[in-house]
Amino acid sequence: MSDATGLKLGQNVPDFELATYDPVKDDFGKFSLADQIARKRWTILFFYPADFTFV
Amino acid sequence: MGCDVVTVSTDTQFVHLAWKKSEKELANVKYPMAADPTGKVSRMFGVYDEASGLALRGTFVVNPEGVLLNSEVNFYNMGRNIDELMRKFKANVYMAKKTNEVCPSKWKDEGDKTLVNPGAKMVGKVHEALS
Repeated sequence: MSDATGLKLGQNVPDFELATYDPVKDDFGKFSLADQIARKRWTILFFYPADFTFV
Repeated sequence: MGCDVVTVSTDTQFVHLAWKKSEKELANVKYPMAADPTGKVSRMFGVYDEASGLALRGTFVVNPEGVLLNSEVNFYNMGRNIDELMRKFKANVYMAKKTNEVCPSKWKDEGDKTLVNPGAKMVGKVHEALS
């Protein structure tokens, strides 16, 4: 079952970082929520089950 | 649109690279593909499936202050509607500018009918306010 301890709407999302593959640079990088806030950018996070399947 | 899309799965960035390069459907992908192999961030958003180690189809909109404004989670077998995601995103951007207005369900884009200063006068009169 899915973990039910999701974030609530209106809540500040705790800072997090994830390693990324950036297709534009064709290189590895990182995504950081703190960077997004510093740059005043909106973020859409799009979760999906697995690579090599339909999304 | 002042917005960054990031995709997240529990695959590593190395697998993302391999998938991007082998799947022709992804030829035009420009967004970073994030790796959450420990499931830490997927758990934080409540989309981690402990049984499979995979993330459910969750979509989340976070504003420039880091506040979570929308959440939608679909089970494995249900795809997402990008038009509805863009509608929600545009409505968030609009309401961030016009803080005394709210966007009803049929709102699609700037210029569409909003409700202004919803308050005591609008109670029982939403139909009139929308028409």
